[in-house]
Amino acid sequence: MSNDAANLLVGASTDFLRNFSPFNRMEAEALAFLAERAVLGFHPRGADILTPEAGVPTHFYIVQRGKIQARQSGQTTVTEYTSLTLGPGECFPIGAISARRPSTNAYVAVEDSFCFQISADDFLHLMQISPVFHLFCTQYIASLLTQSRQQLQSTFAQRAAEQQTMTTALGKLIKQDPVFVTAGTPTRNALERMAELHLGCMVVVDDGRHPVGILTQSDLLPRVILAGFDLSRPIGELMTANPHQLPASASAYDAALEMATHGVRHLLVVDADSVLLGVVSERDLFSLQRISLRQIRAGIDNAADIEALQRASKDIRQLALNLIAQGIGAEQLTQFISALNDALTRRIITLARERHDLVGIDFAWFAFGSEGRHEQTLSTDQDNGIIFRCADATRLKGTRQRLIDFAHKVNEDLAACGFPLCKGNIMASNPELCLTHDEWKSRFGDWIREPDPQALLNASIFFDFRVLYGNERFGDQLRSALNRAAKGNTAFLRMMAANALQVAPPLGRIRDFVLEEDGTIDLKKSGARLFVDVARIFALRIGVESSSTVQRLRQASAKMGISPEEVSAIVDGFNFIQLLRLRSQHLEIEHDADGDNRINPESLNELDRRILKEAFRQARKLQLRLKLDYQL
Amino acid sequence: MNWLSRNKAARGGPQALSAEALQTLERWQALAEPAHAQPFFETRYVVLNTEATGLDLDRDRLLAVGAVGIDGGLIHPADAFYAVLDPSPGDALAGLLGFAGRSPLVVFNANFNRSMLERALSKHLGLAADFLWVDLYFLLPSLFPERLERPGRLADWMAAFEIETFQRHHALGDAWAIAQMFLAAQSRALALGVANPKILTEHAQAYRQKLKI
Repeated sequence: MSNDAANLLVGASTDFLRNFSPFNRMEAEALAFLAERAVLGFHPRGADILTPEAGVPTHFYIVQRGKIQARQSGQTTVTEYTSLTLGPGECFPIGAISARRPSTNAYVAVEDSFCFQISADDFLHLMQISPVFHLFCTQYIASLLTQSRQQLQSTFAQRAAEQQTMTTALGKLIKQDPVFVTAGTPTRNALERMAELHLGCMVVVDDGRHPVGILTQSDLLPRVILAGFDLSRPIGELMTANPHQLPASASAYDAALEMATHGVRHLLVVDADSVLLGVVSERDLFSLQRISLRQIRAGIDNAADIEALQRASKDIRQLALNLIAQGIGAEQLTQFISALNDALTRRIITLARERHDLVGIDFAWFAFGSEGRHEQTLSTDQDNGIIFRCADATRLKGTRQRLIDFAHKVNEDLAACGFPLCKGNIMASNPELCLTHDEWKSRFGDWIREPDPQALLNASIFFDFRVLYGNERFGDQLRSALNRAAKGNTAFLRMMAANALQVAPPLGRIRDFVLEEDGTIDLKKSGARLFVDVARIFALRIGVESSSTVQRLRQASAKMGISPEEVSAIVDGFNFIQLLRLRSQHLEIEHDADGDNRINPESLNELDRRILKEAFRQARKLQLRLKLDYQL
Repeated sequence: MNWLSRNKAARGGPQALSAEALQTLERWQALAEPAHAQPFFETRYVVLNTEATGLDLDRDRLLAVGAVGIDGGLIHPADAFYAVLDPSPGDALAGLLGFAGRSPLVVFNANFNRSMLERALSKHLGLAADFLWVDLYFLLPSLFPERLERPGRLADWMAAFEIETFQRHHALGDAWAIAQMFLAAQSRALALGVANPKILTEHAQAYRQKLKI
């Protein structure tokens, strides 16, 4: 009878393990072997489960509940990450126990945690009897995706944490002990100290260290130099008396208000007895300005001119960083950026309409390319166009010209707000792209009937259109016309497929990656685009309405018999590449370099490199599918 | 000896025991006096849980027993026991004793579980067994006041620890959940310097007295 009881508990362990990769894919016999031998232990918060000092690990652990942190320890850094958090279903140590060497990480329970464990011998036996587990251990990429996300979050979270908020107490903003002199100090001595310590101002105090005056750098020109002030005279004769001061408990916001009200750049911070604690400058406060989504939205919607929108555009970039810090995924992140950019563009259009009379014209503003797919990154050229209705053929020319004049203004304003003018002139102000429904339809039809290289290139840009402003019905009608035309033309789709397959994922046979001449990988050309192109073909073939790559993949695959797990893996791969793009663009923009999409895989940590490789494998899988479908 | 063999005839005697059960009982009675002062890591605990027709000690009867061994602070799935009393309660209880040996018994709510078991042992085997009982009903709130300040129901504690089980209200299903909580309790107790079964029981009793229950 006790045998039945053991079976029940083994069954419970089996059920638990089946929720996680690789155990859910593991051979039945191997899973039974594991579940029968896995014993459950408890590790209180703060406990070391495994340390490098413990030597060759004697057990292999699978987290059942709680959180375990892997911390890099010791002098030699093996990977660039400093810590990773493992949750239920994740296991450790894999490398150390396979290689029978001491772990390079210390594994510490950061919450009260339960872990299953098996002996090192059982672990090695499991590797032998289970090809799935063996593969998992040698590659263990599936679990790395989440880990890397967390790793990325912690990097950005740290930076976000460093950026405090406007509610911070002034006392916490003081960076150094106050430097001060008394009123009797000869001016020369005071100025020498300012120069020596690179101070923006000098505080003058009485014997009780209460501030009585201040002398700032901007006072020097009028009061000292131009006035020919005798530097041997005491600073007390020169200073501004009764300097502005605030208690240490006042907030950064109070300080900003005080500075703005009185037009000063420095404030003295004092304690309850009015004793000087330090100085807070305008610059200290600037770095605190935080931007929330709502503030940006309100800023955009209320913007009265392009200058206000330019500020909003900068805020959007700043927000992107904050969102990464909050751990938001690439898919949501690009949607946020896209939503804000949409709002910005709509506001620009609204402002332009105030100056351009478009009364009586029924039109819509199109976004193409990545903007059309809701996949804008931080450095995206504008790609836009106009669709309009004109029932009276005699007025067509005039209407088009009015729209083009208006579009010129919008394109210029967008450029002023950080969306560079399109080098290929894919802009609404281009008469070729300011068309009626029938004109668009016939243009699309031409490309589909005669898919020469230029037509295929055009398709890859313009077929990802969506309405950003104006009459949505224009978009719906054009989409269904397009889907009808494309669906019935296999030859066109086949050409599109052949075109999409021209660039292969940069996976090497010997090395991990095939690099460009400058040692980098272009994440757009050899990464994201591979997914985007295949998704577009799927969408045209199945008749998906959405223009977003992830939506296209998800909706099309349901009808194409691709399993949800497979799609998730593909989408994860695409999102990871997008996240890498955003991250590298962001860092580059912060350093005032143009954000491009090139990345040197050497600069990635071990984890990200592996995941990138896996992402490229997913692209290859997707391409293979296309090859088979169209027999290319 | 703490183990008394009662006059079997007094209660009408046990049902006829199988040869195997008799052997198990003999072996069990020959077991050495347990050393409850040895440290946790050398102690095997047995988490015990009962299933009865209801919660009334006077009217309801024991239906099934489930038990999970905890050895060296680890739960081994193979070290588990489950038996229904019907149709031969004596054999089932003898099996339980064979499984438990003289390990300290860990229960959630000794008042019920202990009474149920002791009555059944007495009725079907004519035995009065003097186990060391560890009652998580009092031990848990004494060790984890930050999770629940007062004694609570099993479901409350499972929620507080976010522990789930494969089958609630099943003797073994609940025993498995209780066993996991006991792992946490052992670890917390050790941190407080409570390092063996005897002091652990005393710790729980002291808490109970403080509550004046």
